[in-house]
Amino acid sequence: MRIALCSTFVPFIQGGARNIVEWLQEMLEREGHHVERIYLPEVDSTDSLMRQMAAFRWIDLSIADRVICFRPQSHLISHPHKILWFIHHIRSFYDLWDSPYRGFPDDSYHRDLRDAVHEVDTKAILEARHVFTNSRVVSDRLKTFNGVDSEVLYPPVFDSGRFHCRGFNDEIVYVCRVEHHKRQHLLVEAMRHTRSGVRLRVCGRASNDSYAEMLTGLVAEHGLGDKVTIENRWISEDEKIDLLADCLGAAYIPLDEDSYGYPSVEASHAGKALLTTTDSGGVLELVTDGDNGFVVEPEPEAIAAALDRLYDDATLARRMGERARERLDELNISWSHVLRRLLA
Amino acid sequence: MKVLVVNNMAPFVWGGAEELAVHLQRNLVAAGHESEILRLPFQWEPSTGIPAQMLYVRAMELWNVDKVIALKFPAYLIRHPNKVLWLLHQYRQAYDLFDAGHTNLPSGEDGDALRTVIRGADNEAFAESRAIFTNSEVTRQRLLKYNGFDATVLPPPLNDPERFPGGQGEGYVFAGGRVNGMKRQHLLVEAMVHAGPGSRLVVAGPPDTPEDAVRLQELVERHGLTDRVRLDLRFLARAEYADYLNRSNAVAYLPFDEDSLGYVAMEAATAGKPIISTTDSGGILGLARHQSTGWVVAPDPGALAGVIDAAMVGARKGDDYGRAARELWQGLGIDWPTTIEALLR
Amino acid sequence: MKLVMFTPGLRTSAIGRMASIVVRELTAKGVEVIVVRCEAESFLPKSSHPFDVPVFSWTDDTAVGEAIATADLVVYHVGDNFAFHKGAIAWLGRCPGVVCLHDFYLGHLFHGWAHSREGSGNNEAAHILRSLYGKDADLRFSKAACRTSFIAETAATMPCTEWVCAMASAVVTHSSWGIQRVLNSCPGPVRVVPLPYETLTRGHVVTEEAGVPGQVRVLTIGHANPNKRMDSVIRAIGGAPWLRANAVYRHVGHIDTAAFMDLSALATGLGVDFVASGEVDDAALEQAFAWANVVSCLRMPSLEAASASAIESMLYGKAILVSDGGFYAEIEDGCAVRVEGTNEIASIRRALEQLAGDPVGRESLGVRAREWAERTFRADAYAAELIELSGTSGTHPPFVNATKFFFDTLARWGGDARWLTVPSVLEPIAIFDATGTDAT
Repeated sequence: MRIALCSTFVPFIQGGARNIVEWLQEMLEREGHHVERIYLPEVDSTDSLMRQMAAFRWIDLSIADRVICFRPQSHLISHPHKILWFIHHIRSFYDLWDSPYRGFPDDSYHRDLRDAVHEVDTKAILEARHVFTNSRVVSDRLKTFNGVDSEVLYPPVFDSGRFHCRGFNDEIVYVCRVEHHKRQHLLVEAMRHTRSGVRLRVCGRASNDSYAEMLTGLVAEHGLGDKVTIENRWISEDEKIDLLADCLGAAYIPLDEDSYGYPSVEASHAGKALLTTTDSGGVLELVTDGDNGFVVEPEPEAIAAALDRLYDDATLARRMGERARERLDELNISWSHVLRRLLA
Repeated sequence: MKVLVVNNMAPFVWGGAEELAVHLQRNLVAAGHESEILRLPFQWEPSTGIPAQMLYVRAMELWNVDKVIALKFPAYLIRHPNKVLWLLHQYRQAYDLFDAGHTNLPSGEDGDALRTVIRGADNEAFAESRAIFTNSEVTRQRLLKYNGFDATVLPPPLNDPERFPGGQGEGYVFAGGRVNGMKRQHLLVEAMVHAGPGSRLVVAGPPDTPEDAVRLQELVERHGLTDRVRLDLRFLARAEYADYLNRSNAVAYLPFDEDSLGYVAMEAATAGKPIISTTDSGGILGLARHQSTGWVVAPDPGALAGVIDAAMVGARKGDDYGRAARELWQGLGIDWPTTIEALLR
Repeated sequence: MKLVMFTPGLRTSAIGRMASIVVRELTAKGVEVIVVRCEAESFLPKSSHPFDVPVFSWTDDTAVGEAIATADLVVYHVGDNFAFHKGAIAWLGRCPGVVCLHDFYLGHLFHGWAHSREGSGNNEAAHILRSLYGKDADLRFSKAACRTSFIAETAATMPCTEWVCAMASAVVTHSSWGIQRVLNSCPGPVRVVPLPYETLTRGHVVTEEAGVPGQVRVLTIGHANPNKRMDSVIRAIGGAPWLRANAVYRHVGHIDTAAFMDLSALATGLGVDFVASGEVDDAALEQAFAWANVVSCLRMPSLEAASASAIESMLYGKAILVSDGGFYAEIEDGCAVRVEGTNEIASIRRALEQLAGDPVGRESLGVRAREWAERTFRADAYAAELIELSGTSGTHPPFVNATKFFFDTLARWGGDARWLTVPSVLEPIAIFDATGTDAT
């Protein structure tokens, strides 16, 4: 089949949605399909929003048998066989309207714009033969704001067979971009309260120096140098595989993210328990407290208690790790499932 | 700098312009910049849908981009304060092809209205660009004639010159590139009828249509040339193609009235091989100079036969011509670092 | 809310008069209106009905284009007269809008438009006729157009209604008869709204002149088309000695020389007192209404959606003669005298004789007619319907800025909005049409 994968991007910024699109392209091509990847620019500017949306309506992809659309405004593309794998709305017009993140005034011009965006989005979404999302969170938003039912299709990681379990050392790892939103600082704080010999390794490139400095400052200030390692650098795929293969468990505690995050899926493939918090968002669709990991209050003491438990109870750590792997199957987090659903 | 290369996309079609964009992007990165390619879907049928697509390109918003290099209509309509055009071609069906009667634009009032709006948009894009380059003199002349804008000719360099070191000729003339009626490989095969018994010809490349292949095969059979003419009519891997070329005595490239220097001629000159061409080959004659960098004769099998024989026999002369071809080519300075520097100036 | 209204402006246009009334009501409801006069270039300098809003000519490309680009609703008044509606057709082809359809039959409009496009090298007109009405429709149509029987030959089979309705985003028409072709061809909503009309001095009732007692004074107003059955009225009067002696038949409005000669000859031959007053000013027209005691509003075949002259006559409290069928079927019983299509002349004669002999009955008929007409043909109701239509067929105000961007860009490139109305281009943009909410 000729399949067009359509999404939007900001040039020179690598976003999470690019992985979904590019990995999907690879998997579709392996199945023998002809895939064209279409990335178009998009800017969330209220003045030009409507005309950008109109522009997407005039993109002619009729030569494709099927079109799969990801990030807005690509969902506006018109095609007789359109499928959405909806990653997120333009949130300032939706769930972030009543928040400091709106970025423009709540006046009649912007309210009219918001109402128009809702209406147009809804119509565009309803044109699709099938609507998938990447998480329960996004599905709920689609239902609440657009009245549209959708099916959750969890994005798998690429080539998951690379991840494996080699053993359980004394480290909890957090392999991820280092930034305030991901709350590595909360984990470091928690290490002040641990009683066991559990150690923490934070790996990943910091998007800004001040946050990285704050972390190393915390470690120094509280004398955690022998328990906490901070590696502020790009971690290669092979290094990540090794870290996950040997670790005791993996942490993933962002603040209110829509999707569960690839780090949690990677750790699950490696058969390791997951540590997350009650306000982390989409990762709670993956982790159930006491089953394949711990879900605790976002408080240093609560986190510390979970860290100690994993260290003290090796059987628990191993069992939770096995459950983490099983959970991936339960949630159909696999490329074969994705292809089956998208090509149905 | 963050340089965005902007090109059209005909979905599921990949051709020379797409290759060029990829090599432009790679060489920009090699020169120390960040570069990505933006490919804008464009369908020219039905022609009444062209203005709306022009508008969609015009409505696109770019952020986080320092420079745009745009290659074709309507991609070059995209708005950016620091935009440079490397014009591969305009929408010729509104210009020279319209005049020649080869167009998908309707006749009458609607066609005129379409041409007006295309010209209007083009002129706006040309006026707002920081610089305009074209890939050949022909494109430059067209731009001047139809839109009144002047441009600098910046021919696309070879993408992989390192593959063509040249070397000892092993006794054949090589004709590479796409095989079709315009490229006129059939003239070479016909010439072999009159050529000497020691002459050899290799024609290797993808035929545009099965008929193009059959035509050459029938010629070879009819004239009993199977032991002297080798037809390898398929898409060749780069290494295979380079091999044929590097081991040839001379490279023959004689298309009818080509726009540009021609990749085959550029590759031949890079490898230091003499170039065989014809008087009506157009842009190729920028590299092929009779009895200087090779041989240029009338597009006639008899004349070509004499040249093929000369290429087989005169090894020293061939070497001299080949060296001269290489010098001429290198003197033109058509390489990626120079090209990038010109685009970003 | 901003509304652009295309209408003929010149004073002899009843549609122009109707439009000025509607514009007044729209303004009273807070709508910002721009009027675009759409009559042919030679008529544009003529003085216009009063519109207390900005008025442009349809030929002023820039002003009209800008007005449209920022409007919530564009309205086109279309009637069967190319000279009066030339600009409406020109712009309707470029920018869809609500069509107020005054005539179901648009053969003259189409013919005039086709003629204006001749020599441009395209066969658009012929193509339209063929695709609407069949293989040789263009030939049949052009043959019929040369004959006096043009209307009769084409009204039923090739009325050209669909040609206009297909370009509209919605159609407002003034009665429901003949609506099938509209429903079949209009891509958007179709509304039936009574034609708004007013007498020249609102609410002013014209008292019948005393005149000669027992005299039957019959009036027909408007363009003297064959379908107004004026020859039948003359024959009806001529066939009864009493009517011959006591009736005067007067025509006020445009009458071309040939028609005048024919009708005069007929009247003279039958001994009928027939007077043609030609086109008169408003005051003289009102005076004519005062003079008449019967107004003949006959139409056969019935081509209009609604008859402005019938409504006007009723608003003046006159006793009117109407044909059966068509719009007239929608007139409430007891408000007009219906004339049968079969035995038309005898039926007219009976009606005239009956009205002549019953002044009280005539008056009460007129009073009932006036009351019904005042209730029904209300300009404020019409304006309200147009406003409501903007909610269903207009676009979101936020999208208006996008339209302006595209329109401005095309204009800079030397193009125009026609490239936005190509079906494959317009259809995906329909997603930006507002539904259900009033755009005010």
